[in-house]
Amino acid sequence: MKPCVLIVDDSLTVRMDLGEAFELAGFTNTLCSSLAEARQAISVGFFALVILDVLLPDGDGIEFLKELRTSPSTAATPVMLLSSEAEVGDRVRGLNTGADEYVGKPYERSYVVARAQELLRKKEPASETGRSRTVLVIDDSPTFREELKSVLEASGYAVVTAGTGEEGLRVAVDARPAVIVVDGVLPGIDGSTVIRRIRADAALRSTPCILLTGSEGRSGELDALDAGADAYLRKEDDTGIILARVTAVLRSSASSSVVVSTASLLGPKRILTVDDSLTYLHEVAAQLREEGYDVVPARSGEEALELLAVQMVDCILLDLVMPGLSGQETCRRIKGTTAWRDIPLIMHTALEEPEAMIEGINAGADDYIAKSSDHEVLCARVRAQLRRKQFEDENRSIREQLLQKELEVVAANSARELAETRGLFVEELESKNSELEAFSYSVSHDLRAPLRSIDGFSKLLLEDHAARLDAKGQDYLHRICESAQRMGELIDDLLLLSRVGRADLARGRVDLSSIARAVFEELKNRDPSRQVTLSVEDHLLVEADSGLMRVVFENLLGNAWKFAAKVLSANIEVGTDQQEGVAVFFVRDNGAGFNMSYAEKLFSPFQRLHTESEFPGTGIGLATVHRIVDRHGGRIWASSAENQGATFYFTIPPARPGVRR
Amino acid sequence: MTRNGIILLVEDNPNDVELTLRAFEKSNVTNEIVVARDGELALHYLFATGPHANRDPTMLPRVVLLDVKLPKIDGLGVLRRMRADARTKRLPVVMLTSSKEEKDVMTSYDLGANSFVRKPLDFGQFVNAAGHLGLYWLTMNEPPPAGWRNGGWR
Repeated sequence: MKPCVLIVDDSLTVRMDLGEAFELAGFTNTLCSSLAEARQAISVGFFALVILDVLLPDGDGIEFLKELRTSPSTAATPVMLLSSEAEVGDRVRGLNTGADEYVGKPYERSYVVARAQELLRKKEPASETGRSRTVLVIDDSPTFREELKSVLEASGYAVVTAGTGEEGLRVAVDARPAVIVVDGVLPGIDGSTVIRRIRADAALRSTPCILLTGSEGRSGELDALDAGADAYLRKEDDTGIILARVTAVLRSSASSSVVVSTASLLGPKRILTVDDSLTYLHEVAAQLREEGYDVVPARSGEEALELLAVQMVDCILLDLVMPGLSGQETCRRIKGTTAWRDIPLIMHTALEEPEAMIEGINAGADDYIAKSSDHEVLCARVRAQLRRKQFEDENRSIREQLLQKELEVVAANSARELAETRGLFVEELESKNSELEAFSYSVSHDLRAPLRSIDGFSKLLLEDHAARLDAKGQDYLHRICESAQRMGELIDDLLLLSRVGRADLARGRVDLSSIARAVFEELKNRDPSRQVTLSVEDHLLVEADSGLMRVVFENLLGNAWKFAAKVLSANIEVGTDQQEGVAVFFVRDNGAGFNMSYAEKLFSPFQRLHTESEFPGTGIGLATVHRIVDRHGGRIWASSAENQGATFYFTIPPARPGVRR
Repeated sequence: MTRNGIILLVEDNPNDVELTLRAFEKSNVTNEIVVARDGELALHYLFATGPHANRDPTMLPRVVLLDVKLPKIDGLGVLRRMRADARTKRLPVVMLTSSKEEKDVMTSYDLGANSFVRKPLDFGQFVNAAGHLGLYWLTMNEPPPAGWRNGGWR
């Protein structure tokens, strides 16, 4: 589908002219003469681009621009403001309001179209493959153009055409053709010049060019080769031969890479002209527009700086002698600003003295031209500066690419080193882990064997040799047995703690309510004499490792059971609370509680807040619970007061994929 | 309790041997208990080779109590060889050990152990366990028919 342009201008001439220009460039368009019409059009249609006059009979174009920018459907649509020049303020206001481009009237229609195409290209870059088969045909004879076009298209090429050299160059910038076929004899600049300009443009210079000519003589051929054409053909050659030549040229150039990122020298360029004389300003602007440049006039150095702040230009033509901010000072400020200092600046003055020239160059100007020079010279100088700037840009981009490559190499190296180091760490960690594994294996196996002997032989002494022991001796043996038992418990608890830290989490849906009830049943079976009531909230569901959740409740309920031993009606409660929007599980008892000033010791291994004779324990249980909760990414804490029971809170957040703790 | 049948106790720790013998004695298991101090000796006994070459190889114990950690050939190695041999592949084996490593438990069952008992630290409990073991494996359990005599020597 062809992109549609909305053209809003109260002048019928402008509407007709631009409408036609865009149609020729492959757009459809909608023409509006007032803001009311434009608003109506925007509300029903979709536009790729808007061209908007600032002064309209029913209002201010910039106000309409504001509306476009605030509506989501048009906020990103490129808008080009088109306005009768002179008022610097309008330009500044328009660009600040979000215009993508501001073109002064009288406008150059090819410039407007080229700029529009550039804006759209910026928005959605054309695919490279689409370009690679495009042929540009430049010939002033429509018959020949069409004939060649149909032959090429029949062979699968996309074809763009131009009737003059100037138009051809603009089309080349826009279409970036894979090959250019250009007639040697053209109105305006001739074919050789077209090729020479292409060769002078960093972005286009690698495009193969074929020069066509009607002349029999050798001079045409020499001209063509001189200009840098890749091939030379006579017009009377069969179109088949032309086709074959195009294919051959394309094949041979297929391997050469093209720097497409460099802005083309032949693309639309904007020149800021600064002069206090309105007459002179108009004169220069007219000359430059004739060359296809967009001209932004400024009446003073101050205006120039104001304009630069809102709109970049490709070249600056600056009068040396001006009231207010002088040319030198303006030049110094421009060259002193990072964003502007690379813009080619040509000092322009009526003074012929070498001092003036030196002064200008010293202020940082790139070139100097006398006002007396004729306009050919002016244009040539401007072109030269633009070309110089492009080469600089190209060099810079090459330097940047090299730097980028170096950076990439450095980044790749450090990434590799990081991976290697990481690999070493993982290896070391794994070896430490398996050491630990082996260690805890021997702990569980070898440390228990002597304990069994201590306990066993003490018991045998008590049972079989009691007669030869007095009461004290028997008491000592009992103590030996108790100590062995206790050490056995310690070993088991330590093993569990270390296993909890290493085992992989097998997360699944776990019903904490039923775990709590089952653990409580076990506690009751182990100590049926105790009267303890349990109330459990139903359906406490989490994503967790069920084995480890059981360990959590064995410890928390075990503690609650233990510490409520001295209470008459012992009560344990298991449930949830909402704290700061997070589900918090709790286990609450009405037992002995503890002093909160020791709370931070609770979860460290071997820390005990009660004596062994008050409440027995290894001091490892809560450390294990803490580690389990931590491995699930949750938190655990407690609140209590002495003789007022204790509440243990913990959270089990949902598993985050890819996170291993 | 029953008097017939030998118990083969494979255990390297002399204290554990002594305590096990006393535990069986205290729980009134009076069967003959043969002790092998390492895995190799256990296999020699079972297959009547080496120092046990003079033994009647058809006389097999009623149950083997097998420690996991043993010198020379460990308990799992002994079990593997027993299960690979037609003469002993159905012989009841109770792993009697300090370990309760999941890995050991699983491997034992995978290799064909009939039971896995962790030796309790408390001697009283150990005496109980010995009593249960004796009652179960020597009295209640129906041993496999002496199948090897009919076809085991193929």
